[in-house]
Amino acid sequence: MRLSRIFALVLAALATVSCAQQQRPDDPNVRGIGYVRVDEVLKKHPLYPQLSQLQDAIDAIGLKSMSPAGPPGGNISAQTRELNRELVQAQQRANAILRQKQQDYQQREQAAIRQALAAAGAGTNGTGAVTQMQNVSAGQAQAVNAQANADYQAYQRSVIAQDGAAVAQIQSQLNTQMNQAYRQRATELSEQESTLSLQLSQQDAAKRLDLRMKLNNLALSDAQRNQDRAQLADLDRQEAAVVDARRKVDQQELQKYLQQLRSQTVSRLNAEAQKIHAATRAKLAQRHNEVSQQVASQMQGLTPAAVPANLPGQTRQKLAEIDKQYKTQFQADAQKTIAEYQQTKATLDAQYASLNGADGAASGAAGAQLGTLQHQRDDLYNKMVEQIKHDAGQVAAKRGLQVVFMNVDAAGGGIDLTSDVEKDIESLHQ
Amino acid sequence: MKIRKTIPLLSALVLVGSLAAPAALGADLADVGYIDQAAIGALGPFQAANGQVARYKAQLDSQFARQMKGAHSDADRRRIASDFQQRFLNEQRTVLGPLFGRAQAAIAQVSSSQHLSVIVDKRIVVYGGVDITKNVVDLVNGPGAVVPPSATPPPSDVGYVDQTQIDQVPKIKQANDAFLKYAGDQRSQALAQMQSAKSNPQQQQTIFQNYQKNLSTQQDKMLKPLVDQTRSAMAKVAQQKHLILVVDRSDVIYGGTDITQDVQNALK
Repeated sequence: MRLSRIFALVLAALATVSCAQQQRPDDPNVRGIGYVRVDEVLKKHPLYPQLSQLQDAIDAIGLKSMSPAGPPGGNISAQTRELNRELVQAQQRANAILRQKQQDYQQREQAAIRQALAAAGAGTNGTGAVTQMQNVSAGQAQAVNAQANADYQAYQRSVIAQDGAAVAQIQSQLNTQMNQAYRQRATELSEQESTLSLQLSQQDAAKRLDLRMKLNNLALSDAQRNQDRAQLADLDRQEAAVVDARRKVDQQELQKYLQQLRSQTVSRLNAEAQKIHAATRAKLAQRHNEVSQQVASQMQGLTPAAVPANLPGQTRQKLAEIDKQYKTQFQADAQKTIAEYQQTKATLDAQYASLNGADGAASGAAGAQLGTLQHQRDDLYNKMVEQIKHDAGQVAAKRGLQVVFMNVDAAGGGIDLTSDVEKDIESLHQ
Repeated sequence: MKIRKTIPLLSALVLVGSLAAPAALGADLADVGYIDQAAIGALGPFQAANGQVARYKAQLDSQFARQMKGAHSDADRRRIASDFQQRFLNEQRTVLGPLFGRAQAAIAQVSSSQHLSVIVDKRIVVYGGVDITKNVVDLVNGPGAVVPPSATPPPSDVGYVDQTQIDQVPKIKQANDAFLKYAGDQRSQALAQMQSAKSNPQQQQTIFQNYQKNLSTQQDKMLKPLVDQTRSAMAKVAQQKHLILVVDRSDVIYGGTDITQDVQNALK
């Protein structure tokens, strides 16, 4: 009898305490509404460290990608500047050589003309007229060359721009394909890891709860307590070891898969880019030949410089022949210099192209990595939030709430379920 | 004996009652509805309208580029940009406006017929509430006009604030701007340091960690006190107005109590 009374009193006291401690859903300040601060619960989730790592990795790549010459793009800007410098030097060198050659040929032509005039008995009185004649010829040749060069350069710029756009488009397509394939595999593995982790924790939940209840017994001997604790720690270790082992295997597999994908992407990109570059080179070579022929025919067709009219017919003919001869020689010689310059420029163009390709590939790889990480992060975040919502729903049902919100800015009342859900989430994985 | 037996029984009933009561007592408090906005956006007429607006924009984009090429001054460019923006908004309003109006009227009608005081976005509801998505979809897809209810929604336990307006309170704006400037400076410094340590991944890692730590510390110093102050002001206003919760305006679709101005006043 006495025992039952004591029991009754204890129950009554418990009920009173329970009512006093917990807010009731019909409290005027609650009105059936609860809320959970999901961001806080997330921090207690066992997978939170992984989420943070992913976020850190995303932030790190984001920061690195802002770096103008940072890895993995490397020294691309510096190399581009160097190439530009080399190109300008090659142009200046070619121009200087052409100017020098022009002067040399003019002087030699002048000397030959003087000789011809002297032989014809005209002395050196015709020097001014001869210089004028040469200047007209040189001016015409220069104009033809300059026009041809400008036309060719404009064409070259447009063809190279088309080439770059085509390569960039293919690169973007290939990167997208690579990204998708990698993301799909990463998601599959990540889902398998999460499932394994949850399975293990649920599998051991009963054993763990039993051990925890034993540990709560105050009368437990030290030896037994230590044994129980050791068993609990063993459970944690075993679960962690299994999940870690799986994660390592998955990481290795993913790494291999990524390397394989990258190598495939690079091979395909190179093959496609080579085709495009070959077509570009063929177009430029064809245009170059056309321009050269055009220049040659225009040069041949240039009106011979007017020979001063006061000279005898034979001398005038001789001077015209000399002028034509030196002009032809100069053209052939200048053409050689132009060809050398064009060759240097072609080499530099090729370096530009490969550098741009490397730049694109580097940023493409960083972009692919970023995309994969973001997808992994979002996937993990959504799973964690879903689990929290599920647990919050269970807590809410137990507490008799009508509606529970997340992402609230502030609360004037209601029941904050955050700590209950935190405990629930923690106990599920302990 | 009877009394003695009754005491433990009553006590047990009190305990059981205290555990079971909440569900029963809270049963008539559900006046919160929610809607899946993505489901509304996925409806045929909405998708067709969005497609129409996108096509119009693509057409405008090419015209815009052509006109900008011919612009002679900054004033010209501004005028062209403003003109095109207006044309786009007009088209958007013409094409999507009636659909939004219909959806809004449907939400109001369903809300009124189900005696709901507030409709929020599905994403912020963890448990409970009344899902009105299907009813709204049926009304939107149905024939004839959707007639909105004549009465306004009843007072709600849920309040909301427009965070974009709260951010314009001078001291908050000032703090946000100062933090953005600090973050920009820190980023530039970190980039420069990473550039000089490009061959040393470990050093880069340290630089990145320091960068994050600095940002976090400064955020705690510059912004957290204001965030706490804002939350406290919101909670205070909520209590004064007998509101249970305050959420962001973007999460409220219909109804609710706007306390933005009160919070702004409290923060001044």
